[in-house]
Amino acid sequence: MVGLGFRREFAEEMISGTQITPDFIEFAPENWMHIGGYWKKMLHRVVEKYPVLCHGLSLSIGSPEEPDKEFLRYVKSFLDEYQVRIYSEHLSYSKCDNAHLYDLLPMPFRMDAALHMAGRIQQVQDYLQRPLAMEIISYYTPVSPEMSEIDFISEVVQRSGCQLLLDVNNIYINAFNHHYDAKDFITRLPLDKVAYIHMAGHEQVSPEMILDTHGHPIADPVYDLFEWTIRQIRPVPVLLERDFNIPQMPELQAELTRLKTICHQQWKHHELVA
Amino acid sequence: MSSLPDTPQLQHRFTQHCRTGIRTTLPGVAPDRLTHYRQAIRHMVKDTMESAYPITCANIPARKWEGMVRTFFARHACTSYQVWKLPLEFYTYAVENNWDDVYDIPYLSDLLAFEWAEIEVFNMEDIAPAAFVSTGHWLETPLVLNPEYRLLSFKYPVHREARRARLLKEKGAWFVLLHREPGTGNVKFTGISPWLAFVIEQLAAGITVKDILEYAPQLGITVTEELEKDTLAFLTDMQQQHFVFGFQP
Repeated sequence: MVGLGFRREFAEEMISGTQITPDFIEFAPENWMHIGGYWKKMLHRVVEKYPVLCHGLSLSIGSPEEPDKEFLRYVKSFLDEYQVRIYSEHLSYSKCDNAHLYDLLPMPFRMDAALHMAGRIQQVQDYLQRPLAMEIISYYTPVSPEMSEIDFISEVVQRSGCQLLLDVNNIYINAFNHHYDAKDFITRLPLDKVAYIHMAGHEQVSPEMILDTHGHPIADPVYDLFEWTIRQIRPVPVLLERDFNIPQMPELQAELTRLKTICHQQWKHHELVA
Repeated sequence: MSSLPDTPQLQHRFTQHCRTGIRTTLPGVAPDRLTHYRQAIRHMVKDTMESAYPITCANIPARKWEGMVRTFFARHACTSYQVWKLPLEFYTYAVENNWDDVYDIPYLSDLLAFEWAEIEVFNMEDIAPAAFVSTGHWLETPLVLNPEYRLLSFKYPVHREARRARLLKEKGAWFVLLHREPGTGNVKFTGISPWLAFVIEQLAAGITVKDILEYAPQLGITVTEELEKDTLAFLTDMQQQHFVFGFQP
């Protein structure tokens, strides 16, 4: 299955299904909770047409603070209401000192942070009664690391029992920005825990830095890394993210088609995933 | 399971820099990369405010506006997990800190309230109306109103004007009704008189037009045939605009 992030900019096109045909959609619960009117109707229409996966933004699992219980209650209710198949979040934090910053901030790769995060994930999984698929974020600087990124991630996954959302573009960006080998990094991940893949575009803004923009087509080297990556894992849903600089629908459809073709080629011996 | 002090302290310093720009040193963090995070967050907050408050932003000198947004984000701990509600916190912060006086923009809180109300009414959760029928006696039958509305009162007519000089000349008591049109979800604005604002408040409480008119003299309002006629004409028009849904069965 290859899906597309649901955005208001192309909601009509997704609902009509004439120019673009994802196998599923994904959206952030935070962007659709507690709303009514026009967009609630649109949400219901799109949910009737496509299976739904949700990708959260505000859980801030790495925050020093306790999880927001009211927010979690709404998330649980939302996931049930829309029969969401996978709920994913980020191995990061976006809130500190009880203030939201609305960005995905890098966790210090330290044992105390890994233990803290694993505990929080367990707490949320227990409450939601479902596993979380945690995304390895793109990040632009390590913060006072005392262990490697791969050890940090492995520790969190092993201790929490969570699944992984593998954003291949993020791994490509991180490998470039932090000078490591993307394939080696992926090989060392607990790949049996990968439950979901994200793909997106990026922009190189300087000789030393690539930004994770979600505003450009997927770059060819990321397609190559994707093709290599999915050979290492069982079939999982794959999502195309496009949040900015939205192109004409045929361009997005072409990206979906290319991803589907790669999946079909690499996973043809596996059963289809639902 | 709790974190040891190290990581929360690092997170505090990282986020304090992102919010305030105050210099900090974090082992292993390249200053330019830290700056990237601060700028990305600042741009996001600025874009969110400019999208929510286009009239306010366009009618305040750019440096003053940017200073307001910067001060808000640095000093206020944003509590909403939904970014579209961030502008409400900005408005609330402006009121709580008396920014009308601080920035010498006496109509600032009115303008922010007006612009926020459109977002709020457009996005507000669906509210089921009370049961109603389409015919009834306009004077004697309690009316059923569209529950998806806000009635705003202003000191300045920010719904009609954005220019400072003109606004300052027209200080008074201004009322605006916003309601969400059920079919399209669009928000409609109607400037109304203090009397009609009072009528709407009473109708929403289930009082009939006849009872409202009978009570009016106690407020010092002289009820004339013209007032009654105009009131009913307004309500009839608001039925066409899907603010008055009908009559209680």
